[in-house]
Amino acid sequence: MHLFGQKKDPVPAPQTSPELPKEAAGNATPQPDRQTGWSTAGDSAIIRIDHLSKVFASKTKTVTAVNDVSFEVKRGEIFGLLGANGAGKSTLIRILTTLLSPTSGQAFVNNYDITQDPEKIREIIGVCAQNYTSDSELTAYDNLEFYGKLENVPDSILQDRIWELLKMAGLADRAYMPVGTFSGGMKRKLEIVRAFIHRPLILFLDEPTIGLDPEARREVWQQIMMLNRENTTIILTTHYMDEAEKLCDRIAFVEKGRLIALDTMENLRKLIPAGDLIEIGIDHMDPRAEEELRSVPLVNAVSVVEHKIMISATNGSEAILSILALFEKFQIPVSSLSIRSPSLEDIFIYLTGKGLDNGNGEGNDAPGPGRKR
Amino acid sequence: MLRGPLAIFKRDFKKFLSNPFIIMMTLFMPIMYLIIFGSAMGGTISHIPVGVVQEVPPYQDTPLFTNASYQLNHISQGSENDAEKQLDVTLYTDEVQAKQDLQDGKISAVIVFPSSVSNDNAVRVYVDSSDSITPPLVEGAVTSVLEQLGAHNPIIIDKIYGDITYLQFFGVGVIMMAIFTSTMFGGGIALIKDRENGIHEGYLVTPVKRSSIVMGIISSGTVRAFIAGFTIFWIDLLITGITLQSFQDFLLVLLVILIACMGVTSLVVSFASRFSSQQEYSSVIAFFNLMLFMTSGAFYPVIGMPGWLRWITVINPEYYGIHALRSIILRNQGFNVIGIDLIALLIFSSVMIILGIVTFRRTLE
Repeated sequence: MHLFGQKKDPVPAPQTSPELPKEAAGNATPQPDRQTGWSTAGDSAIIRIDHLSKVFASKTKTVTAVNDVSFEVKRGEIFGLLGANGAGKSTLIRILTTLLSPTSGQAFVNNYDITQDPEKIREIIGVCAQNYTSDSELTAYDNLEFYGKLENVPDSILQDRIWELLKMAGLADRAYMPVGTFSGGMKRKLEIVRAFIHRPLILFLDEPTIGLDPEARREVWQQIMMLNRENTTIILTTHYMDEAEKLCDRIAFVEKGRLIALDTMENLRKLIPAGDLIEIGIDHMDPRAEEELRSVPLVNAVSVVEHKIMISATNGSEAILSILALFEKFQIPVSSLSIRSPSLEDIFIYLTGKGLDNGNGEGNDAPGPGRKR
Repeated sequence: MLRGPLAIFKRDFKKFLSNPFIIMMTLFMPIMYLIIFGSAMGGTISHIPVGVVQEVPPYQDTPLFTNASYQLNHISQGSENDAEKQLDVTLYTDEVQAKQDLQDGKISAVIVFPSSVSNDNAVRVYVDSSDSITPPLVEGAVTSVLEQLGAHNPIIIDKIYGDITYLQFFGVGVIMMAIFTSTMFGGGIALIKDRENGIHEGYLVTPVKRSSIVMGIISSGTVRAFIAGFTIFWIDLLITGITLQSFQDFLLVLLVILIACMGVTSLVVSFASRFSSQQEYSSVIAFFNLMLFMTSGAFYPVIGMPGWLRWITVINPEYYGIHALRSIILRNQGFNVIGIDLIALLIFSSVMIILGIVTFRRTLE
């Protein structure tokens, strides 16, 4: 068991069409190569989204929750949709899971058109919605049984499957207790295992770890990775950076309904021109060394603050060799050394100009499909 | 000190004002009570279908028969307008046929005039005593017509179903009420609760069909309503002292209750497939409960209702249910009479089930 779930090896970025944003949010509408995108769709892409938009219109205002989004999800990957509250993640998930119909654009899940073949799609997906959808009056077992039947799990294996899932969620001893008596974490775990009771081809997890304590989050991450090893494609929305960083093969940033970046973690890091941050502790600094340091290739900026040199370099691990060689040359003893890659948060701030949690999420909150009509 | 109560008051009042639908229903309900309840119960009874026949032989009409028939057919209810006449007289030549029609519920009474060679000269009035309202009216009409004509024939009243009290008359209606109240709380409320709590999002993404959802809810509601109706049926028998004539009648009653449950439940569920707030749903269902129960004839014979209200009974499943139940329980009638009720209930259920399925929202919008 890997605590904290070791990060999966990132899938090498596709060299053909990495769908990088041109610059900032404004005109960054990724245009996947039609030809290659379509022809390879059968085997590599399990979800294709093409210029999808969703507009919620009410009397007072209209909100564009999803704005001309196009991307693909590859078969077997863990795909992260990252964005602030109200960025349009859940709306996108609801469109893909046939709960909402798009205002314009197309989307295909396993080659089924979401507006033409919603029944076909419902058979191959598992969904864990953001809010609790288990019936709190029923027991955990009854809830799973209900969904097992709705998802067409054969009766012969249903009972064993339910117990397997209950054990997985650590709820076996509470199987016959009403879900209403469960803590938030227990409910959430039940929701997640319920979503894959029928071993779906694609699993949609909308903020699966929201409101969970760190330990429970790790357990959920383990479950997700275990499922992914069984070749389940997983689409995950989150606004937790660390979660996306640990779990996802590829990450899509969503901001105000637009897709502003999509790539592997490694490639996303390269978006930040400042690159990695190298901190070197020293006793004294030779001005000549400093000058020469600036001319080292890959180094972008150097600043000396008392006994510390801060260097930003485009490729930190590569640059560090020549930097250390330089220190050797000038015989400057190094007392400490650290290289820090930009975190997802750094990238997000760089791309959007604001953080995730304190963005203007609430103000921009897409109304979503209200319960009231 | 008053901040707390005021804050609660303000919150509550804001919620009240933000829901115009509930405000409307709050005002609408009493007005509808006034109009429907008032009209259904207070209307003057007119157009009672009666059969008039003269004893045979001989086959010549007596002057009494001719005159009385004419007079009976022209008893005016207040105004001169023909539409308001009290009795609708059908002339029969065959007494047996007239009585058969009375048995089958086609007419409310048969008035038999004596032939010229009658021994006692008595006018016999056969009334449908399962209806507690019309027999006295027919009786009164016959008496007054005879008086007008100066005839002094004795009148013999024959209650063809024996003495039936209003309690027994009304008791049958209460079976229907039990069905309706149970569907109010049971039928479809689960769907609305799911929607209110957002639980439906969970199963809408599964392959389950909307027809399965609607049919599942209807069948569970039907069974619940059936249990309620069946229980009240027994209690009704105990309280009102009605006895069923045969085991076949008992089975027929069960069949009628079941089909009526299906009709009413599918009506309610077809509404539930559209609503998303328990409060709104309950007020609409309460309104329907009133409309349907008042016009069902449970309290008061449908014949006493004004014409516009009687139109509602045509599409009212409870009317057919109550009619069928009364036919079996009070009048010991069979399929020949209740067949039409069952067909109407089945058509009604089918339409409502289809409506429920078609209007069910498979998406969150």
